[in-house]
Amino acid sequence: MQRRPGDLALLAALGILLAAIAQFGPFLYSSPLRVPLNPVYATAAFIGDLLWVAAALASYWRDPAGRMWKLLLGSRVVSALSAIWVVNTSLTWTLWEATIGLSTVVFAHLVLAFPSGRLVSRYDRWLVIGSYAVLGVARLAFVLVWDPRSGDCFPRCSVNPFLMWPNADLAWLFGPGLSLAIPVLAVLVCIGLARRWLRASPALRRMLLPVALVAPLELGVTAARYLAAMNQDTWQAVGVTLSTSPLAFLHAAIPTGFLLGIVAARLARGGIADLAVELGRGVPLGGLRDTLARALRDPTLALAFPAPGGAGWVDPQGQPMDVPAEPTPSRSLARLERDGQPLAALLYDPAIEAEDPGRVDAVASVASMALENERLAAQVRAQLDEVRASRTRIVEAADAERRRIERDLHDGAQQRLVALAMRLDQARGRAEGAGEIIDATTAELLQAIREVRDLAHGLHPPILTERGLAAAVEALAERAALPVIASIPPDRLPGEVEAAAYFLIAESLTNAAKHARASRVTVEVTRDGAGLHLAVADDGQGGADPSRGSGLAGLVDRLAAIGGTVTVVSPTGAGTLVSADIPLPAGSMP
Amino acid sequence: MSGEPRPLRIALADDAVLLREALAGSLSAAGFEIIGQAGDVAGVLDLLDRDEPDVLILDVRMPPTHTTEGLEASHRIRQQHPAVAILLLSQYIETRYALELLRDNPAGVGYLLKERVTRIEQLADAVRRVAEGGSVIDPDVVARLLGRPRAHTPLDELTPREREILALMAEGLSNGGIAERLVLDAKTVEGHVTRIFSKLGLEPAGPDHRRVLAVLTYLRET
Repeated sequence: MQRRPGDLALLAALGILLAAIAQFGPFLYSSPLRVPLNPVYATAAFIGDLLWVAAALASYWRDPAGRMWKLLLGSRVVSALSAIWVVNTSLTWTLWEATIGLSTVVFAHLVLAFPSGRLVSRYDRWLVIGSYAVLGVARLAFVLVWDPRSGDCFPRCSVNPFLMWPNADLAWLFGPGLSLAIPVLAVLVCIGLARRWLRASPALRRMLLPVALVAPLELGVTAARYLAAMNQDTWQAVGVTLSTSPLAFLHAAIPTGFLLGIVAARLARGGIADLAVELGRGVPLGGLRDTLARALRDPTLALAFPAPGGAGWVDPQGQPMDVPAEPTPSRSLARLERDGQPLAALLYDPAIEAEDPGRVDAVASVASMALENERLAAQVRAQLDEVRASRTRIVEAADAERRRIERDLHDGAQQRLVALAMRLDQARGRAEGAGEIIDATTAELLQAIREVRDLAHGLHPPILTERGLAAAVEALAERAALPVIASIPPDRLPGEVEAAAYFLIAESLTNAAKHARASRVTVEVTRDGAGLHLAVADDGQGGADPSRGSGLAGLVDRLAAIGGTVTVVSPTGAGTLVSADIPLPAGSMP
Repeated sequence: MSGEPRPLRIALADDAVLLREALAGSLSAAGFEIIGQAGDVAGVLDLLDRDEPDVLILDVRMPPTHTTEGLEASHRIRQQHPAVAILLLSQYIETRYALELLRDNPAGVGYLLKERVTRIEQLADAVRRVAEGGSVIDPDVVARLLGRPRAHTPLDELTPREREILALMAEGLSNGGIAERLVLDAKTVEGHVTRIFSKLGLEPAGPDHRRVLAVLTYLRET
């Protein structure tokens, strides 16, 4: 729906007319009720009504398709209708009686639907629908049974043209008796408001504030007035005072707060100029979300960028992130584009759009260049994460493959070779003269068994999986060519960490024995909050260059795949120290 | 027990069927009675509940996890069937597992490399020794423990002969067994053993199987 200035003018005229009828209408007729008509009071009330009209106009201007302005206008119509009591005919008097309470239910509706005009929660919806239904049925029943001439003729005697089954008790129940339900309604509305407040985002609370402050008071005063009106004496004592005291204007604080909120939101647009200045000075990478959240006045803002592969989204840190395809009632979604390409997605509080339509667009267009930078950075981070993950997967796959081959050798070739050797052994006694050949073949077979065993063990020593790093290095030290002094905590670690550490230590021991001509090696493994620390030191000739040919280079890559780093210090003549740091995944910390 | 008319009764547990059958054939031919075979730990436990053999020959690595089921099961079997001697077969030389097996009670247990079964007389000897309540440790396991590179230890003080005798003690042989193996007389072996223990600073030896544990622990921890 398009907003049209002509419609706005029409709306304004209608609103002013309704306010005039509501407040000045009673002056046209002599009042049968002893409520003093006071021009000053009426003028003040008229001004209060005009604030409601202004709020209706403002909400029409901001959102012509919305419901809020209709609701605001509706409340003015009900208010004007209530002025018909002054027209001193039985018909109007009866109709007026039938509408008593309607303005309060409309007020409750308005309060609960503020500021969007929609009743969001099921509680709110049922409360409002229920109130309209109870009121409608009760008032319809009331006009059918109410005989104004019975009883004390309070507030006055007239004829009810719809009367069909006069019944004073039912008339009381559906008429004044219903006033007893008003305090209940007031409490239920306050509960609905409290529920909304507790669930509201900061932006929504800014808008709800005037309603949240004033509505409970206003509802309290209204409830008191209804209760007072049940009886002539209390009406005179309390009701008239309430109707003419400044408390009667309390409700005007609601449109006032609403209008002030609009003004404040407009003033906050100045923040976008600040944003431009801040962006011009440069925002550190990764800090754009906070900057935009301040400019939008939405601390819940989330920023997402298209994932490098084109499918899905990542956050500014490059981590995969869920972005709904459509906005949801609790999250608005703005998909930004640049030169036809997706640039970013903003997930924000829907209340921001209600508070200040267009602010999101303004912020997005000012920040477009910065968003582009941040998008590139986020995508690079995501790609880096993907490369890291893929490298880890490759290492894990290689480890799994080594374990599998070890198993296959163990279960297959080795068992067959041993069984074969046993058959040969059985043949020894039976084959006359073949003893030498059998012995030689058996020796060959045993050699083959040992070679396959060493090959399998070297691929992946089962004790590493079975008993952990300390036990596996201990076994390594027994086979080493030089004395090894190892100090390793016995704790179990994630498999990939144990494997990486084991092969690094094994390679370092081999190098110390083969190339460094060392006489002893110490292996020290410690563990702290930062992860695992390895140090393999020998007393050999030093001068090792890990970048040239040694098996260490491959192990450096292997460690890097799980986020670890390796340093080699090997001054000529002063031994070699290989040290490594391996981060431990969260959850495996001591 | 040697010389008794009744053949030793043996149960086999290994998931490698080919090898298990070959082993059963060899042992039968060597005069042992095979009372049953199993391919996993559950099968072994069932078998033992039905009929207790004199010796259970058990592979370290069996289904379902193919890690150290056999070793773990042996602890349980020793508690539930204390009369059954256990000979554990391992594809790999793991000194730690040999010690884990002996630690609770070294009497009537043995740890042999799987390839050892290819010489039936060696296997038969080991079976008889564990059946008699002795301990058996594979010579390769002992060799690895003895041969481990050390900076400087009392082991260096031993003469080659003493080293040889220490290795045989570690394999689980008694003084008599050592004397027989080295063709020495028992008194000489006794004298060597006393000197070895004093050079290594070990307490004088107790029964044979206690001695195995003491020697192995010493070798592993120095």
